[in-house]
Amino acid sequence: MLIEVGHFALVLSLIISVLLIVVPSIGLYQNKTSLAQLARPLVWAQGFWIALAFFVLMSAFLSNDFSVKYVADNSNTQLPLLFKASAVWGSHEGSLLLWVFVLSLWTVAVSIFSKRIPSDLINQTLVVLGAISFGFLIFLLFTSNPFERLMMPPLEGRELNPLLQDFGLAVHPPMLYMGYVGLAIPFAFVLSALIRGQLDSTWIRWTRPWALVSWSFLTVGITLGSWWAYYELGWGGWWFWDPVENASFMPWLVATALVHSLSVSEKRGAFKQWTVLLAIGGFSLSLLGTFLVRSGVLTSVHAFATDPTRGLFILIFLFVVIGGSLILYTWRSSLLQQSNPFSLLSRETGLLINNILLVTAMLSVLLGTLYPLILDTLNLGKISVGAPYFNAVFVPIMIPGVIALAIFPYVRWKKDSLSRVFNLLKFEWICVVLLTFLSWVFITDNVFVTVAVGLFIWVVNHVLVLFIKRLRSKAKLSMSFIGMILAHLGIAVFVLGATVTTQLGIEKDIKMNIGETQTIAGHDFVFNGVSPHSKENYSGFIGDITVFKNTKKVAQLSPEKRYYQTGMPMTEASIDPSITRDLYVALGEGLGGGAWSVRIYYKPLVRWIWLGGLMIALGALFAAIDRRYFLRVKS
Amino acid sequence: MILAWPFIIMISLSCSFIAWFLFRPISQSMSGDDSNIAINQQRQDELKLDIKQGLISDDQYQAAESEIISTLATELRIDTKESIAIKPLPWILIIVLICSVFSLGVYSQLAPKMIPSGNSLSEPMSMSDSIERLQIFLEENPDDFQALKMLGLAQIGIGNVEESIEAFEGAYLINSKDIDLLLQFASAIAASQDGQFGGKSKVLIDEALILDPQSIQVLYFSGIVAVHEGNLNGAIEFWEKALYLIPKDHPDRNIIEEALGTVLNLQVK
Repeated sequence: MLIEVGHFALVLSLIISVLLIVVPSIGLYQNKTSLAQLARPLVWAQGFWIALAFFVLMSAFLSNDFSVKYVADNSNTQLPLLFKASAVWGSHEGSLLLWVFVLSLWTVAVSIFSKRIPSDLINQTLVVLGAISFGFLIFLLFTSNPFERLMMPPLEGRELNPLLQDFGLAVHPPMLYMGYVGLAIPFAFVLSALIRGQLDSTWIRWTRPWALVSWSFLTVGITLGSWWAYYELGWGGWWFWDPVENASFMPWLVATALVHSLSVSEKRGAFKQWTVLLAIGGFSLSLLGTFLVRSGVLTSVHAFATDPTRGLFILIFLFVVIGGSLILYTWRSSLLQQSNPFSLLSRETGLLINNILLVTAMLSVLLGTLYPLILDTLNLGKISVGAPYFNAVFVPIMIPGVIALAIFPYVRWKKDSLSRVFNLLKFEWICVVLLTFLSWVFITDNVFVTVAVGLFIWVVNHVLVLFIKRLRSKAKLSMSFIGMILAHLGIAVFVLGATVTTQLGIEKDIKMNIGETQTIAGHDFVFNGVSPHSKENYSGFIGDITVFKNTKKVAQLSPEKRYYQTGMPMTEASIDPSITRDLYVALGEGLGGGAWSVRIYYKPLVRWIWLGGLMIALGALFAAIDRRYFLRVKS
Repeated sequence: MILAWPFIIMISLSCSFIAWFLFRPISQSMSGDDSNIAINQQRQDELKLDIKQGLISDDQYQAAESEIISTLATELRIDTKESIAIKPLPWILIIVLICSVFSLGVYSQLAPKMIPSGNSLSEPMSMSDSIERLQIFLEENPDDFQALKMLGLAQIGIGNVEESIEAFEGAYLINSKDIDLLLQFASAIAASQDGQFGGKSKVLIDEALILDPQSIQVLYFSGIVAVHEGNLNGAIEFWEKALYLIPKDHPDRNIIEEALGTVLNLQVK
């Protein structure tokens, strides 16, 4: 019966979402405050029932209730407790329920932290969020019901995909969804401003902190995904330009542009049109990404044909969201014309360059991701667009962006002069050129690494000098400023880590006999053999490798080869991490006579990639708690 | 099922919660004008701080200040419309009606026609009751794969082998790729052949083996078929593979080990 209660809770939340769309709207347009103010209680009621449904499904997983088809398909009695709980979002139906649950969390958060926002704006925003929630609940209940029962429950459930049996599943999807779904909040603010026809200072002010927080979560989600892929897949890679990764990266690029564009709109009242389009684009891309992944279109374009109901619904929903928003945008475009002027050399121009580069980069990724799907759908052949295309197109677009992000914080709003900026920064530029030259002479002759080192020095130098100058001027440091410093440093750290690990990383795929030694980057890897190993839900082998550097033992590595109940083999890499390098070993196949194929990787500065990501996310959080967003208003 | 008491409680809770806020609405936070004035005032304060700290010149301050004032001027609306009071009771009745009728209506369309008894609040049904309910259900839904499979299982549970085969046959025509069905169907046919896994029974297990060569259950049954064909080495191979795949503390492990032990003994003799 508990399952039926969970199912009914979802139905009830669907009906409440209808009330949320209709009742406060009547209140807003007929000026009946009591009805308009009902938006918040309706959001809380809806959030409560969705949370109940989510935890009912989780309890079904924890109690091995295989009468629920979704549980029987994705869990079994042997699965460890953590993986049972995270298996809730391990497949399509549950991950959509997580989507709806996260959306309800965000909506409740907006309704609670809205005391400083005008009632009309917040009620209208909650109505828009209710409409998004309605679309997803319909999709969930009518095409992807996670509470579907089995007439004949099996005694044992199936195996959760072994790749997902990892701590990463517990943290990566929820974080990513917090980011994806969080983009619904700026979208809802923008749409409510367009509906009300009030594109004033207020909506811009209150859109930015929500955009920053969701951007922060999206950054953490993508960073965690990259870290998970690195240690779980056994290839030592941290980014594969896989369509699923791209689906999360595209909204991130647009969200990055949005938070910068919002800062101009907030400070100068400029870029309003652009900001509105970015908010719509960010959420539309997050929807596109979610549905591309969830509908199975990315693995096969024929997924639409195998499940026409789901595919058709996806297309209709995307059409309504994107089409509806753009119609609204066109209708209100006259209100968006007002913009305060700025000269060619101004901070606004810098942020515009940043926006153009980010959107161009997003379009290049979108093209590379969708092009093979379009060709396949039109029966024009099958092609694969991989890393060579993305690296060739994406990197050159981003390099000017990294250069610009260091300079433009020095440039004044509205108007500045080249001579002032030049005089202000000439010593920094000389310093950067000198240090880059020295690194080329003394550290590396690799061109790509030299460029990355140059960019790192360029950004760090500018950012730190800016920070010191601000400290010296005795001006009060705002959280926004600290956030910017941290995020820009994060970009520099990421660029250096990504380039050095890609260019200077070493990989060896070798056969090793017991007692044999392989030397990589000054480290001696001694293979001590392999022994059988098993746990509750798998059996397999565990390797034993000792690593020495200058005859001193530095690590003991234990890579695993696992065979789960489905028979699917899994490689569990063993890593000795440090801030300067990772030593990474993965076990291949047994080759007889105690010999095994082994993959050994030396990954310099690989941790800087994720450190950079976390710094960016932390910077965004700092900016979101700036004192401007705690404004007290007296009527 | 549709009018179960938890649903009525859930609807009542929702309606009462919403009704409470219709009688005692949350007070309005502020107007748009108040908010715009406060934000632009804050911008002006920031400007004053900037000029005090020497970050901007007097000219820049003047230009920025006039920009703030003109922005605010375009934003103010001076909305004097009075809020219209409502009578909460009719709205509450509408909300109660919508909540109850639509939620139960939508649920009745989506809910399963039958719920497995082991997970329901009702008393467990006897096997013959289950068969009766399944037969009634199948009259309305003759193509329900799960119901046919369940009927086959229930029939064999009370010894009606022929009826069980008939039900499994029907399920097989709908979905011949379900491994569990293939194994149950093969077992039922074997039961009708004095426990011999030959003929169609063997064909079904071979089909299951092609569909999932890593399934422990399929490997176990394939071993049994091999024993019935006198292929002891084949049986040993299937069961050893099954033992390799099955976790050490799995409850079915003993059964396979026992079967393997018996065949190894036979081979020795």
